[in-house]
Amino acid sequence: MTSIHVITKHNKANYEEVLEEYFRLRHDVFVGERGWRDIERPDGRDVDAYDNDHATYLIALDNERVIGGLRLYPTLLPHMISESFASLIRDKAILAGPTIFECTRYFIVKERRTGRTDCRLLAAFQEFCLEEGITEVTAVVEMWWLPRWHQAGFKVRPLGLPTTIEGQPCLAAAIQISTESLQHVRRLAGLRGPCLFHGTSPHVQKKVPHVAA
Amino acid sequence: MSGRRLDHTAEAFEFIEDLDRLTTPQDIIDAMERSFARFGFENFIMTGLPHPDQRIESLVLLKKWPIDWYRRYTHNGYDRHDPIIRLCRQTVQPFEWSEARYDPETNPKGAEIMREAEEFGMRQGYCLPIHGLNGFEACLSMSGSALELTPQTKPALHLMTMYAFERARLILAPSPRPNPLTAREQESLRWAALGKSAADTGEILGVTERTITAHISSACIKLNAANKTHAVARALHHRLIEM
Repeated sequence: MTSIHVITKHNKANYEEVLEEYFRLRHDVFVGERGWRDIERPDGRDVDAYDNDHATYLIALDNERVIGGLRLYPTLLPHMISESFASLIRDKAILAGPTIFECTRYFIVKERRTGRTDCRLLAAFQEFCLEEGITEVTAVVEMWWLPRWHQAGFKVRPLGLPTTIEGQPCLAAAIQISTESLQHVRRLAGLRGPCLFHGTSPHVQKKVPHVAA
Repeated sequence: MSGRRLDHTAEAFEFIEDLDRLTTPQDIIDAMERSFARFGFENFIMTGLPHPDQRIESLVLLKKWPIDWYRRYTHNGYDRHDPIIRLCRQTVQPFEWSEARYDPETNPKGAEIMREAEEFGMRQGYCLPIHGLNGFEACLSMSGSALELTPQTKPALHLMTMYAFERARLILAPSPRPNPLTAREQESLRWAALGKSAADTGEILGVTERTITAHISSACIKLNAANKTHAVARALHHRLIEM
């Protein structure tokens, strides 16, 4: 069963192995599959300037294996759109605020792309943002993702025209966070309730019954 | 040039904002007709892509097509051979009709369809595929006799069509058709596609050979397939199973 874990600076010590696997998978997906040569690294880990204490990760785990994830980053700090993709924004008017975050490095591993894993991660994303009082999330997304977000029940406004990056038309857009969207995507994901895990790593969870016994 | 580009941006954003106010399919057709005419488009169709047991006319969301062409196209089941639909299933990127290559040897009907479309003034076209969640496939295909398709107009058109599609989907609220195959039928076909016999597959999944044969027979019926090989080919072609 897939569970989505929230990892921040406060609990990342519990998730060292998970994060290592996550960074390796990011490299596999974005450099290996998508061919983003700019971020290729000899150690096979995709880690950039935004993988710091301000980042929050939502990571999808199945039997302790990482099967997908995304990264959220505050827009009040210099972030990827403001630093690297400002040209994608109409009139260069960067959307930023205390309740606006940026989502980057969204991925699901290849073997899990046909099932409901995408919907689960998207549901966890809405759930987390609602809990945290986040109102909007900006992202640069490949255009073919736009109808998928729409189908998931997300309200998305474009922030500029699509622009070709690495051979793919990409769009800067803002996703509205709402309970309606959460309910819609939960239905698609086949979820009845919350799917977020806070704090404890799968490793710790597994140990607990033994200790209790 | 940057002046023109700004126009396209303004045009696209205005179109998208206006969509929210539209309440009927005809409103969307009118809005698309007005805006897309500025890029040279005269005809367009917005449709889901049919599974083997579906007819395309049941999946059409909106259309502005010459009625005689629509009748001929649906009556003859042209969607089964249309090179545009074939390419649309294989790519997530928008493409010009001229980019849809087809071999007249293996798809003689494809050449015929493109020729006949031309007779209805659909000389050039632009197709925007949609690959949604859970295997939902659709497209918006537009045409005219003289299109303004440039690196400046294409991004604006791409964005406008994706939002027009979303608005039409919300107004018409068609539920994306779920995969007709059960999880076990999909699994049985996937192993068959990898060369496994029903006995092998039964062993892998811990069930009897007879159970697997029953799953495959049931898949054959749903896919209107003559045998296991035919069923695997159809399931792959329509992305009901993935390898």
